[in-house]
Amino acid sequence: MSKTIERQLHLVDFTIGSVLRRKGKNAALLLVYTLVIFALASVLFFTRALRTQAASVLKNAPEIIVQRTLTGRYQFIPVRYADSIKNIRGIIAIKPRLWGYYYDGGFGANYTLIASGVDSLKPGTIAIGSAIVKLRKLQIGDIVPFTGSDGNPQTFTIAKILSDESALVSADLVVITEADYRALSGIPAGYATDLVLTVRNPREYSTIAEKISRLLPDTRPIVKTEILRTYDAVFSWRAGIMLLVLAGAVLAFFIFSFDKATGLSAEERKEIGVLKAIGWETSDVLAMKFWEGIALSLTAFFLGTILGYAHVFLGGGLFFAPILKGWSTLYPSFVLTPHINFGDIIALFFLSVVPYTVSTITPAWRVATIDPDSVMR
Amino acid sequence: MINIQNVSKVFNAGRPNEFTALLSISLEIHLQEATILKGPSGSGKTTLLSLIGCMARPTSGRIFVNEKEITSLPERFLTRIRRETFGFIFQRFNLLRGFSALENVMAPAYPTGEKYSLLKRRALDLLAMLDLDHKQGAKSEWLSGGEAQRVAIARALIHDPAIIIADEPTAHLDAKLSAEFLSIMEILKKEGKTLIIASHDPLIYDSTLTGRIVEIHGGELAHGGTIA
Repeated sequence: MSKTIERQLHLVDFTIGSVLRRKGKNAALLLVYTLVIFALASVLFFTRALRTQAASVLKNAPEIIVQRTLTGRYQFIPVRYADSIKNIRGIIAIKPRLWGYYYDGGFGANYTLIASGVDSLKPGTIAIGSAIVKLRKLQIGDIVPFTGSDGNPQTFTIAKILSDESALVSADLVVITEADYRALSGIPAGYATDLVLTVRNPREYSTIAEKISRLLPDTRPIVKTEILRTYDAVFSWRAGIMLLVLAGAVLAFFIFSFDKATGLSAEERKEIGVLKAIGWETSDVLAMKFWEGIALSLTAFFLGTILGYAHVFLGGGLFFAPILKGWSTLYPSFVLTPHINFGDIIALFFLSVVPYTVSTITPAWRVATIDPDSVMR
Repeated sequence: MINIQNVSKVFNAGRPNEFTALLSISLEIHLQEATILKGPSGSGKTTLLSLIGCMARPTSGRIFVNEKEITSLPERFLTRIRRETFGFIFQRFNLLRGFSALENVMAPAYPTGEKYSLLKRRALDLLAMLDLDHKQGAKSEWLSGGEAQRVAIARALIHDPAIIIADEPTAHLDAKLSAEFLSIMEILKKEGKTLIIASHDPLIYDSTLTGRIVEIHGGELAHGGTIA
C-alpha cells in the first residue's frame, strides 16, 4: 500500500477515534443534521415525484381543450361547435368529452366521473380508480349506487379497476358509458362538458386558440402548455410552503455551522497545537478535520436521504402529504412512484455536506497556521 | 551542534502588552550532551526551547541545527525538521485525551504513512522499554503522573530523534518519579541522544546527567554574554 493511502488511513483512523471521544455531542449533531437533510430530501423527492408523474400523465393530455363560458362562468358546450372549428388548419381531430365531479357524502370524498374511454364497458357497468376501491373496500362485481341529478339513486356494477400506474389522475376516477353519464348527470343530448382537439404541431397551439376565440366568442380554449404550467406552478407553490417551514430548521443549522466556523473550543485549539508540536503539518491537521467533517456530514447525508426516500415512497409522505397533495380526501392514500432526480441529490449534497465540511476546516486552518508554541501557551 | 546567534523573541510586538521573552541570546549547544537551561519561572527557558525545537520563530537572530539555518525555513520544512530531529516532553505532558497510551505514542508518526503494523510494533517496543506495555490500552486520562510522563517520553522517541527537548519535566512529579525520569534520561544520553532540558529543579541540574548548565534570567543569559 502506498504511503499516501496509508497516511490517509491513519488520519481517518485518528479522526474516528477523535469523533468517538465526544459521543454525546456528535450524536446530537448527527441527529439534528440528519433531520434537516431528511426534511429537505423529503420535500425534494415529493415534489419531484409529483411533478414527474403529473407530467408523464399530462403528456397524453389533449393539446387544446375548448370550454364554453357565459359571463365568465362555465357552461355545457354544444357538440355542433365542433363543426364550426373543424376546418381550422392544424386541427387533426375534435372529440366532445363528458365528465364532472361527484361528491360521495357517505365517505366525504370527491370522485371524477368521465364518460366512455373504456371500450369494454356495457351500460350499467363502471370502471373505478384504485383509491376508491381502497376507500370503499370494493371489488369487481360489486354494485355501487350513485345519486342522479334528479335525486334518484342509480346502481352500477364494477366491471374493471383502473391500474395504479397513473394513480395521480385515475385514483379518484369513475369511468361510465356515455348514456349512463347523461342519465346520471342530466346533461342533455347534443351537449358536452368540453371539446378536446388534437393538434400535430405545438407551435400552432396559440394560433389555433386565437382562431377559435374569433370564430366562437363564447368559448375559452385552454392549450396544453398552460395546463402543464398551472400544474407546475401549483406544485412549486406547495413546495414553496414546505420550504418556508423548513427554512427555520435550515437557518438553525446554518447558525450552528457558523458558530462552529467562527471558533474552536480551548481544548480543540490546544489539541491542534499538540499535534503540530509533535510533528503534524498544517495539511495533516486540515486532512484530519476534512475527514471529520466528511464523516459526520456524509453519514447525515446518507441517513437523511434514505429516511427521506423511505418517508416519501414507502411511508406515503406521512408528514407532508396533506400540504403537498391537494384537497381531495382520497389523495392521502395515494402512493407515489419512486423517482429520483440525480441533479436533486447533487444539489442536496452541495447544500449539506460541502458547507459543513468547509465550516469544520476553516477554524482548524486558522489555528493550524499559527506557531504551535502560541497555541499551547 | 545547535548554534543560536543573537536571538530575541518579542511577543505582541507593537501592542500595549508587548513582552520581550528573550534578548540577544547567543549560545552553542553541543550534540550528544545534556544541557540544562536553568532559571526561575518566566525567565525565558520555555521560549528558548520552543525556538530551538522549531515550534516558533525568533523575532530576530538565527538558529542553526547541524549548520543548517532553520529560522528562515518555510513552515512545511520546519515541521519536517521538528518531526525528524526533535522529540518533545512537555511540562504538562500534553497527551491527547480520550486516546490510549499506545495511540498517543503512535500519533506523531501517523502523517508519515508508515505501515500500521510496523508503527504499532515500534510503539509497543517503546512502551515495553519504559515498562508501560501493560498500560498500552489505557486512556491517557487514566494514567498516573509518572505513567503519563513515560508515555510522553515514548511519544517523543517514536521518530528516534537525535535531540530530546524537555520542559520542566519534573515539575509535576514527586522525588521518586523524578529520579525515575532521570534514570531514563541517563539511558537516552548513553544511547547518544542530545538532551536539552529546561528546569529550575535542583534534582535535575545537580544530577549526574548534567553536562552543561546555561542560566537564564529575565530573557538574557545570566552572565550577560555568549556561551560557547
